[in-house]
Amino acid sequence: MTDTTVAGAAAVPGSEPPSGDVPVIAAGNAPAFPGRRRTPLLRGRGLTGLILVAAVIVAGVAAPLLAPYAPEEQIRNANLLGPSWQHLLGTDEVNRDVLSRTLYGIRVDALIVFIAVPAGAVLGSLAGVVSSQFAVADVVTQRVFDVLLAFPALILAIGLTAVTGPGAVPIGVVVVALELPLFGRLVRTATLAVRELPFVRAAEAMGAPRSWVLRRHVLPNVAEPVLVQLALSMSGAVFIDSAMNFIGIGVRPPTPSLGSVLAASVANLHSNPMYAVGPLIVIAVLVLGCQLIAQALTADRRRAGA
Amino acid sequence: MIRYLVRRLPSLAMVLGAASLLIFGVIRLIPGDPASILAGPDAGPDTIAAIRHELGLDQSLPAQYAHWLGGVLTWNLGRSYIIGGDISSLLGAGAGNTVLLTSASLVIAVAVAVIAGPLWASTRRPWLEHLLTGVNTLAIALPAFVTGVLLILLLGVLLPVLPSGGVPPDGLLADPTITVQYLLMPATCLALPLAAVLARYLAESLRTEMSQPYVATALAAGVSRRRIVTRHALRNVLPTSLTVLGLQIGTLLGGAVLVETVFAWPGLGQLIEQAIIMRDYPVVQVLLLLSVGVFVVIQLLTDVVHALLDPRIRLGGAR
Amino acid sequence: MPPMNPLLTRRSVLAGLGFTGAALLTGCTSAVSLQAGSPANETSKGGTLRAGIGQDLIPGNFFTNSNSGITTLIGLVYEGLIRYPNDRVAPTPRLATSWQMSADGRALTLTLRQGVTFHTGRPFTSKDVEFSLRTYAEPVWNGQLRSTAAAITSYDTSDPQKVVLHLAHPLGNIFDLLDTVPIVDSETFDGVGTGRQYVGTGPFRFVSWTPNSQLRFAKNPKYWQPGLPYLDNVNVSVVPDPTSLTSQLRSGQIDYAYGNSYLDIEQLAATKRFTKHQLAGAEQQIYVGTNITAPALSDIRVRQAIAYAIDRERIMSEVFRNSGYAVNLPWPKYSNAYDANKNTTYALDTAKASALVKEYGKPIAEIPLAYSAQVPLYRQTAQIVQANLQAVGIPVTLDPLDGAQFVKRLIGAEFPGMWTTFHSWAQYTPSTLTVSAYPFNAAKNSSHYSSAQYSSDATQAWQVADGGSEEAVGHYGRLSDDLLSALFLIEIGVVQPQWVTSNRLRGVSYTKRQELDLTRAALSV
Repeated sequence: MTDTTVAGAAAVPGSEPPSGDVPVIAAGNAPAFPGRRRTPLLRGRGLTGLILVAAVIVAGVAAPLLAPYAPEEQIRNANLLGPSWQHLLGTDEVNRDVLSRTLYGIRVDALIVFIAVPAGAVLGSLAGVVSSQFAVADVVTQRVFDVLLAFPALILAIGLTAVTGPGAVPIGVVVVALELPLFGRLVRTATLAVRELPFVRAAEAMGAPRSWVLRRHVLPNVAEPVLVQLALSMSGAVFIDSAMNFIGIGVRPPTPSLGSVLAASVANLHSNPMYAVGPLIVIAVLVLGCQLIAQALTADRRRAGA
Repeated sequence: MIRYLVRRLPSLAMVLGAASLLIFGVIRLIPGDPASILAGPDAGPDTIAAIRHELGLDQSLPAQYAHWLGGVLTWNLGRSYIIGGDISSLLGAGAGNTVLLTSASLVIAVAVAVIAGPLWASTRRPWLEHLLTGVNTLAIALPAFVTGVLLILLLGVLLPVLPSGGVPPDGLLADPTITVQYLLMPATCLALPLAAVLARYLAESLRTEMSQPYVATALAAGVSRRRIVTRHALRNVLPTSLTVLGLQIGTLLGGAVLVETVFAWPGLGQLIEQAIIMRDYPVVQVLLLLSVGVFVVIQLLTDVVHALLDPRIRLGGAR
Repeated sequence: MPPMNPLLTRRSVLAGLGFTGAALLTGCTSAVSLQAGSPANETSKGGTLRAGIGQDLIPGNFFTNSNSGITTLIGLVYEGLIRYPNDRVAPTPRLATSWQMSADGRALTLTLRQGVTFHTGRPFTSKDVEFSLRTYAEPVWNGQLRSTAAAITSYDTSDPQKVVLHLAHPLGNIFDLLDTVPIVDSETFDGVGTGRQYVGTGPFRFVSWTPNSQLRFAKNPKYWQPGLPYLDNVNVSVVPDPTSLTSQLRSGQIDYAYGNSYLDIEQLAATKRFTKHQLAGAEQQIYVGTNITAPALSDIRVRQAIAYAIDRERIMSEVFRNSGYAVNLPWPKYSNAYDANKNTTYALDTAKASALVKEYGKPIAEIPLAYSAQVPLYRQTAQIVQANLQAVGIPVTLDPLDGAQFVKRLIGAEFPGMWTTFHSWAQYTPSTLTVSAYPFNAAKNSSHYSSAQYSSDATQAWQVADGGSEEAVGHYGRLSDDLLSALFLIEIGVVQPQWVTSNRLRGVSYTKRQELDLTRAALSV
């Protein structure tokens, strides 16, 4: 293995080659399904995670039905009110209902989490597969990844928004730029590892075409670590949104996002302590959901013995 | 080992060279220039022209690049346009603070992860597992500026036991016990997300390791679970964990931007944010190049340490 | 092989942590108790003041009064020739003890204070006055009153205790310049641009500056006012985050702060442990600028509709927490250009605004409203303005820009629609505003507004010999009318900046440029 392969083993629990055909030892009390593997997302932790994430999405989609006010409506004489029956989470510094803004705010973050992160994952994975196949592409992509990884995310964000102006799109681009090298390295490492396996080597030695090996052996083995990383990356993406809003380069006002509501709440915690609570709950639920999904996926992998 | 390091040098230099060109170009693509920042909102265009000349911004771009690169190579970093002072002393002051902050949080994060990870992996008590999952989720979900503000409110204002921000007035080295108190909150705040990621990673790897056949054998032979985790499994998963740590140090530096702002900790994170906002080109250029350099070196170090910990990997060995 | 990796035993790690914690709590000095600052003795003299400000010193902006780093430095270390009281525009002695204007208004003789020395020990003379004013006039320093400084054609410094300024034409605002320009030491002036050395004649001398971190000052033992200042040292920390600044006040880490949000100050003052200082006399104005060549905005009816639609009272109370008052014209209440009647020309009237938009008739495309994104005050103001205008049928998109781009567009007159920000310089002689503040500059401004009438009114107001005379006030009235009818800048309110101090600190004062004056400040126990 080369140096970069080693460095690339990022955040891939169990991405090392399996140590052969061994009997599976069921960890924990969930039953194992030898032979017939049901998807881990429809039971136990995985299901809980899925429900949590779905709940957040539903809240965002159904915001017009759930929210008591329009997200941008400035209510007369309602400056930084504390929580009341009329405004469950109080009002903000421009007299808007915080609950309504939180619900509508989910939409921007949903786009970031469910479009930008997967987009980064797909692009990164493609780059990873390509670089694992061609030596020249490998050198180029590895160096590009190095440079991308070397810049702290927020610095990248400050630079980018200075050019484009703030908005949801630059946040998405930053997220993509962040995920790209992560997935690239992950897929590259996993692919190379799979190709080292005895049966894959044997297949190649017998003259199996490269594309067949990729499809038949590499993809199934790479898909799982990618899914796990995807779930983890999704939980981290909201962080980029709130951090960017905190330093004043988030979504374009008056559009709300979870991060923009949270960032604005910090300056007003003394007046309306409930201000921060709404977005924090939503973010926590989202993160917990993603984490549970990731855990379920890895646990499943472990049981399957690979 | 040395031969391996020498072999890595050209690619290292290549990355740094490309990065320097990229940095120099991209920062100038950002609209707004240092001269207008210096001039301020009441200035007229003639003032701007005078300031541009003073800063050397009226020279051609290649000339400016050559001048800068020459300066960097001879460690003559020049003067800041706007923030003020010469860059090497700006850098020195900021780097000291940031290195202290990040290494302190690194220590905290690793300590927490090494305790919580194995605990998480080996526990058979559901409540403990749920608790750890919950804490872990919160640590990842709460952005640094929220944990920071909450910590300050709690330990700085309501129950004033720690300073609520800033650095020791007489310098970091004057009295270590004072410095530790100033450091505790920002370092914890910065460490939390990293600790969470590391602990989770460690726990998952350990669980995987625990499904290895030798564990079943050991369990059957009557060795305690905890002993297997701490004596055998942990040893096997440490090398890859280290790799994760190496990659995460980058996020630590990024997180420093937020934490330094919240705690008024005058480090490189704050410096670079300000330098970009003010278009202080020379400062941004040097800091970004430094950040690339640090990253590359950390990568190299993790590779080396990784190899030392895991004899199965030979540095520079053929694939 | 050791029986167990010592790193990994939970007990040993916990024990270690516990020990460290216990050591912190019992054995060592607490940083918190140190923060309380050195107590002053019974006569309230001596002691170290710990202060916090939101912006760091920017050496290149030394002469611009543009941020709290500069105003703190200049207030402590430097002095001007004269000083305006905060509520009037009438010179009182400072480094000059008396002055005499010639009958034609083209020569001003200033008698200088004797026995004043710079912090280096060198005596202050008329040569220093010439050096300071000439340096201020250099374009690279971008002093806002540069046009006034440049109108001084020659200096007579033959008598070290006396200086005669010869003027190109009568200058109604010459004393504004003398109030503004700090007298600097020519021998050490190189240190100003590099941030290494600041030498003046003021009550405190500059000790050190650590960029992004802190400024230190110490008492000037040879200050010309005997017995002053009371404080021995002033340590100023730079705390960019307003929330953090407020926390440091609350936890007793600092006793003076400049840069908190108005809301935080309101709440701090309500606790009775802190004093709010509302800087009347050092005002800034919040306004909405328009590019009068842009579609729709080029029509005066649309600009009038905007002026009628903005809910100034709401912005002043909710955003600025009533630290100031709504106006239609830039002048603060004590200014001799202030006219209460003119100030209600565009009182809030949404019906009239809607009617004007209807009268305009054509569909209005979204008008961008730019502001500097890093400043929460602007973000709040812009969002309220947006809602106000939308309510009367003027669609607005917000355009948050980073500070560098905002300034560049402002100076380059590159805004495609509207913008909102602060301007200053209306707290002085009214003519200073129209020849100095760029948004108002009759020759070239960000609104692309030009009018022969406005230019000539501005020049005439500037070139009267006495800026406080009846004649001058007549000119200011005409300038006000020009501003109201052209409406290229729509004023929202006069804003008084705020400082907050703990009740331990007394005797804090300020200048008309928000400079910190601690000459008579003292800490009580």
